[in-house]
Amino acid sequence: MIPRLTTLDRKRWRLVGLLSPITLFLGVFFLAPLSIMLVYAFLEPGLYGGVEWNYYHHNFGRILGWADGEFEEFDLVYLQIFARSFRLALTTVLGALLICFPAAFWVSRLDDRWKTLCLFLITLPFFASLVVRLFAWVIILKPSGFINQTLISMGLIERPFDMLYTEGAVILGMIYIFIPFMFLPLYASLEKLDRSLIEASSDLGASRLKTFLRVTLPLSLPGIIGGSIIVFIPSLGNFIVPDLLGGAKVLMIGNLVEQQFLQARNWPFGSALAMMIMVAVLIFLLIYVSVVTRSETMSEGREF
Amino acid sequence: MRLIPTFVITTSTFVLSCAMMTAVQAAGELNVYNWGDYINPEVLTRFEQEHDVKVTLDTYGTNEEMLAKIQAGATGYDIVFPSVHMHDIMHKLDLLWESNINKSSGFENIEPDFIRANTDPESSWCLPYAWGTVGIVYNKTKVPEITSWEDFFAIPDKYGEKITMLDDLRETIGVGLIMNGHSVNSRDPEELKAAQQFILDRKDKISAFTYDVIPLVQSGDVAASHWYVGAMYTVLQNPDEMGYVIPKEGATMYQEDICVLKTAPNKENAKLFMEFYLQPEMPALNVEQQMNGTPNKAARALLPDNLRNNPGMNPPPDVMAKLQIFEDLGADLKKYDRVWTKIRTQ
Repeated sequence: MIPRLTTLDRKRWRLVGLLSPITLFLGVFFLAPLSIMLVYAFLEPGLYGGVEWNYYHHNFGRILGWADGEFEEFDLVYLQIFARSFRLALTTVLGALLICFPAAFWVSRLDDRWKTLCLFLITLPFFASLVVRLFAWVIILKPSGFINQTLISMGLIERPFDMLYTEGAVILGMIYIFIPFMFLPLYASLEKLDRSLIEASSDLGASRLKTFLRVTLPLSLPGIIGGSIIVFIPSLGNFIVPDLLGGAKVLMIGNLVEQQFLQARNWPFGSALAMMIMVAVLIFLLIYVSVVTRSETMSEGREF
Repeated sequence: MRLIPTFVITTSTFVLSCAMMTAVQAAGELNVYNWGDYINPEVLTRFEQEHDVKVTLDTYGTNEEMLAKIQAGATGYDIVFPSVHMHDIMHKLDLLWESNINKSSGFENIEPDFIRANTDPESSWCLPYAWGTVGIVYNKTKVPEITSWEDFFAIPDKYGEKITMLDDLRETIGVGLIMNGHSVNSRDPEELKAAQQFILDRKDKISAFTYDVIPLVQSGDVAASHWYVGAMYTVLQNPDEMGYVIPKEGATMYQEDICVLKTAPNKENAKLFMEFYLQPEMPALNVEQQMNGTPNKAARALLPDNLRNNPGMNPPPDVMAKLQIFEDLGADLKKYDRVWTKIRTQ
């Protein structure tokens, strides 16, 4: 006889069944590589890549500017790169938000057939390879490219603008590739927004701006924060866009990590840099969680 | 169609001996791990036809990428094409297999000057494959003839046109070292600082550090670029518009060797390929498509005149004397890494 399971037991087993695939997946493909990285960050670099199994504490100090005891002078060069990456990633988030918010708002007000079409169009770029799409931007931005030729033939400018290989091109490229990631969470929260609240607000005499600031914006805040984080994290570590559109002159942390693993053959330093990116991202996530919980408790407080 | 006999042979040898089985099974394959676009596909096709071996080609972009992959435990590759300094490194790391290619017939055509790896002075491990110069490719419709690095760096100010350099730590710092009269293998911090300053002083004039620039030079969007002799391909197609020059201050050269990996599953076929490549016709085929140099003097004799006497591809001895090749720097590579990071940050 098979012993009968109580309801509680059954629930427990169902939970185990549902969660074990993802736990296994994250364990194997996320936690294990992450632990390797963490260990490597404290080891001595091997002469030709790889690591020597000796404790080596210079990697993190080197990021903060100190010499690693052998070759370098005190220099804040790596922190400069971190600062630049943060600035570029934040600009990307802001740019994507400014473009996506009105678009998502508009799409969420369309009727269902058009909504589906618009959502399909937003995901369309994923059908082509990222590198191909970035090379297309090289062709658009170059001096004899589409934009400059149009402006010149219209007589608006005489000499082509320098657009390719600038910081602006990097920001443009990053906004371009991350637009879908910003659009979808924004759309999800604007879609849920109860339109009668906006009507109520204008019935009670609020101006359009006031309605937007006091009703629409706070209610779409989870979408804004969610989208911003999903865009911020990959922008911070991006290295393809600075390479292709920035001409490798606009160095970001992602490029630095790539350089450490390939050209410089310094895996531990690359690991340490990657750990620093993770820490930065984690701090942002903690801020997100605390903001969301606070806004939730606040709105609950208002309801009761 | 080859499947059935292979299957029959495999089954029968399985009965005889397991060791023999591996040898016979492997008879039909060669896994080549080469730089992107660094071999004429015709060479591989001919090898396939002549020896009934199926060749698989996988590519890499840098020596370091290849080394990282092999070190990370990638198996299944038979031959790789490291640069000379990487040949030394791989030898020190015990990643290579001694092929004794120097005892094969046709090896006498390899010029001794091209047996460069310090760890392999007899060329008993690897076979010198191809070499080339790293100079300047430029668009003649945008700028007049260029002969020196000085001309190159003057382009942005003089003609308002763009220049680019390679996204390569050794090559680009190397130009800074050459311009200060130092060795491209310098380990002296002061010399490296001077090279860093040389590039930094010109950084706002350099539009980009990139490899993907040839179409932009052809369209004139970039007037001149620090690039490999492979650019000769577009130069010979369009000699009125494009030019390639080895700057008179000096330049670097590269050379790759064909090496068999210790972990190679098909060592016999790998050796067979090296011997196949010793036939002068093969390097000649390669040069015609790759536009670089070959260490095989019999192959050079087979080339058409415009390739054999091309000053970019086969420079005269006085120019050869000004070419420097990279050595492995060991731990001192860290100095270059720091200089490169500084250049790309400021």
